[in-house]
Amino acid sequence: MRGSLQYLPNSQLHLFCQTSCDSVAREPVGAEAERGLKKSMDPFEVAFEDVEDFLPDSPTTGPGHIDNENQFLTPSNLLTSPAPTISIGTNASIGYNEDEDEEEEEDNVDLNIRNIALRDDPDKTAKTRAILSQFTGEQMERFEFFRRSRFKKSEMRKMLLTITGMRTVSEPMVVVVSATAKMFVGDIVETARTVMTERKESGPIRPCHIREAYRRLKLEGKVPRRSVRKLF
Amino acid sequence: MNANSGGPSSKSKAGSLQPSETSFKRKRGVFQKELQHMMYGFGDDPNPLPESVALVEDIIVEYVTDLVHKAQDTGSKRGKLSVEDFLYLIRKDTPKLNRCTELLSMNEELKQARKVFESDEEKLRKVFEADEES
Repeated sequence: MRGSLQYLPNSQLHLFCQTSCDSVAREPVGAEAERGLKKSMDPFEVAFEDVEDFLPDSPTTGPGHIDNENQFLTPSNLLTSPAPTISIGTNASIGYNEDEDEEEEEDNVDLNIRNIALRDDPDKTAKTRAILSQFTGEQMERFEFFRRSRFKKSEMRKMLLTITGMRTVSEPMVVVVSATAKMFVGDIVETARTVMTERKESGPIRPCHIREAYRRLKLEGKVPRRSVRKLF
Repeated sequence: MNANSGGPSSKSKAGSLQPSETSFKRKRGVFQKELQHMMYGFGDDPNPLPESVALVEDIIVEYVTDLVHKAQDTGSKRGKLSVEDFLYLIRKDTPKLNRCTELLSMNEELKQARKVFESDEEKLRKVFEADEES
C-alpha cells in the first residue's frame, strides 16, 4: 500500500513510538544496531542477550517479499555510506556519554525494566520481534536513531526555567515536555513526508514541506494555540 | 520610516515566529545536533537540510512555549504549575498521553530502584567498615 515511501511506513512507526489506545509501547530491541557503536554502555546490547534466545533469523537476512514492501528508493541508500553514518553514530554515543552519563545509566536500567515488562505481553513481544527481524540494515539504523535521539535534558530544563520564570522545574515536567516535543517533531516530519509524496517530490525535507505540515497540524488541532493571539 | 506602522511588526520577524512575551535572546541551533538525529529517525534524510532543522527548532521552541503558557493558565487556577497540567493539555492526543504516562511510571520505578540500591550500598559499606575495625 505505502511501499513507495522512502522511510518506515507509518504503520510500523505507530507500533513503536505512538502507542495505541489500548496498550503501551514496549521497548523493542535493536540487535543489529550495535555495529558502529560502543558496545559497553549500549542499552541495546543489554537487551540483545535476551533477544538472541528468541530470534530465529538475523535481522539482515529477512525474506525477500518483506524487503520489497519496505524497499527504500536507492538515492537514500547510496547516500548512507558507512563513513558518515558511523560518525553520526559515534558522535551520538560520545555526545551522550560525555554530557549525559546519567541518562545512559538510566537507559541501561530503563531497558532492563522494559524487558521485564515486555515479557508480560508475549503477543506484543512476538509481533515486535517479528517486525524487527525483518528490518533492512538502513531501517534498523533509522530505527535506532529514532529510539535514541532525545532533547538534552539540561537544555530543555534551561528553556523551561526561562519560559515559566520558576526557580526550579521538577524532573517529571522536563520528562513530559521533552517526550511531547519529540513526538511533535515526529508529527511534523511524518506529515512533511506525506506532503512530499503528494507532491511527488523526493530527497531531503525542505522548509516548504515543513511549513505545509505545520499548517495541517494546526488545522488538526495538534498545535497548542493561545487564543489571545487572534486579536489583531 | 513611519513610527505608526512599526507597532505590531516590531515584535515579529518577517514570516517566522514571535519570541513571545519573554524577551530572552534565543541562541540559534540549541537543539541542532539532536534534532538532526531525530529527524533522520522519523523519516528524513540522513543529513537533513540545515534550514529545515532550523525551522523545526523554531517550531519546537514555539510549541513548548505555547504549551507551557497554556499549562500555566490552567495551573494558575490551582496555584502551582504541575505535571498534571501538561497531561491535561495533551489528553486529546492519545499516543502522546500514553507515552508520557509510560515514561512517568518508569521514572518512578527508576527512583524506587535507585533508592533501594543506595540503601543496599549503604548497608554494605557499614558492614565493610565494621569488618575493617574488627
